[in-house]
Amino acid sequence: MSAQPSPLPGPPERPAAERPARARQRILAAAVERIAGDGIDEVRIARIATDAGVSSALVHYHFATREALLAEALEYSYGAVGDARTNVEGPARSHAQRLAQMVDQCLPTRPELERDWILWVELWLRAVRHPELRPVAEELYARMRDWFAAEIRAGVAAGEFARCDPDEVADRALALIDGFGIRTLIGDGAMPLERARRSVGAALARELDVGEQLPFE
Amino acid sequence: MSPRPRLDHLRKPQIVAAAAEVIYERGLLDTRIGDIAERAGTSSATILYYFESKDRLLEEAVDRADREWYARLSERLAGCANAAEKLIRLVEETSRGQGQFGDWTLWMEIWVRARRDPVVRACYPRLDRRQRALIAEIVREGQRAGEFSRAADADDVALDLSALMDGLGIQVTLGQPDVSRRRMVRRCLTMASLALGCELERSRAPRVPA
Repeated sequence: MSAQPSPLPGPPERPAAERPARARQRILAAAVERIAGDGIDEVRIARIATDAGVSSALVHYHFATREALLAEALEYSYGAVGDARTNVEGPARSHAQRLAQMVDQCLPTRPELERDWILWVELWLRAVRHPELRPVAEELYARMRDWFAAEIRAGVAAGEFARCDPDEVADRALALIDGFGIRTLIGDGAMPLERARRSVGAALARELDVGEQLPFE
Repeated sequence: MSPRPRLDHLRKPQIVAAAAEVIYERGLLDTRIGDIAERAGTSSATILYYFESKDRLLEEAVDRADREWYARLSERLAGCANAAEKLIRLVEETSRGQGQFGDWTLWMEIWVRARRDPVVRACYPRLDRRQRALIAEIVREGQRAGEFSRAADADDVALDLSALMDGLGIQVTLGQPDVSRRRMVRRCLTMASLALGCELERSRAPRVPA
């Protein structure tokens, strides 16, 4: 997308063209942590800057507004987790098994997923009053939905899942995941993660006619 | 002199109502007690007399909106012929947003604040359980009447439906393009139909704006 300038002499693992990109990444990595901890409204830019080993001015240079910082932090976090998401390794799994893994990747089952979740919740609230953030949410949702829909479609084609509208089922699954994710995140004693997994899994299993439950690991 | 109980009775609801409006419009963080005071037609001192903090006001605002919503909903449900109709009605009413605001904005404020304030954190599950209890009650009624499958666990259905409604409610609030309220209702009824072994369809008379 952007033209690559010829690399200047320097240590081979960090060509000069990458340095601004690296700084930006460090800022985003720091922002993810700090925003998850303090919230987008209260987070101090100076702290993010210190964590990233850059100046506040540089943070402001890269991210003109808090909205921009939040949006990019979420994209960054989503992308970082996303690599793990799309990298479903291991022995050949059934579509139902893959779907179960995908549900696990979308619920706050690990610390980095929990951080990702917190940023989502912050984004939702911010997007209410800052409509420029809504396309960000829309785009990320579309990616997640396409990800689920593709797996469901493949499962239907393979005869593993009942015929259905994959996009509809995916949308319902994501909404269910959101609703359960909230309850888990807020730490309601009655909503442990395990229950969330079971409920989402059971709902999907029912829709796709694969029995009582998805085969979680 | 001035009968304190009567003033409490008048002032608190007024303040809470004003708080709900202002918080809805500006967000909790950008709301100052002074803004609420102005809206309520009283002083900041009076507000702080009744409420410790903005968080308490948020909590009360959501709690009150929720209670009023339930009161109205219960009235409407009383007019329904059977459990299936009640469930449909509940889903349709929920899709219009709880309280007078028509969307999930105040809930989202709660979800964000819950991470930092333990009292707000405790209020959400309490409100959530209220909704789930109502849904479970309707499901049991339907099971007794033979409308719904007895194999379904009423509490599980209630939880699933509440979670789905929240998830879709977020999409509706954010104006996501293909999640209209009607779509939300359809999706909820599809899930409920599957869980309860029956066909639940949206009311013919359109009560829900697109």
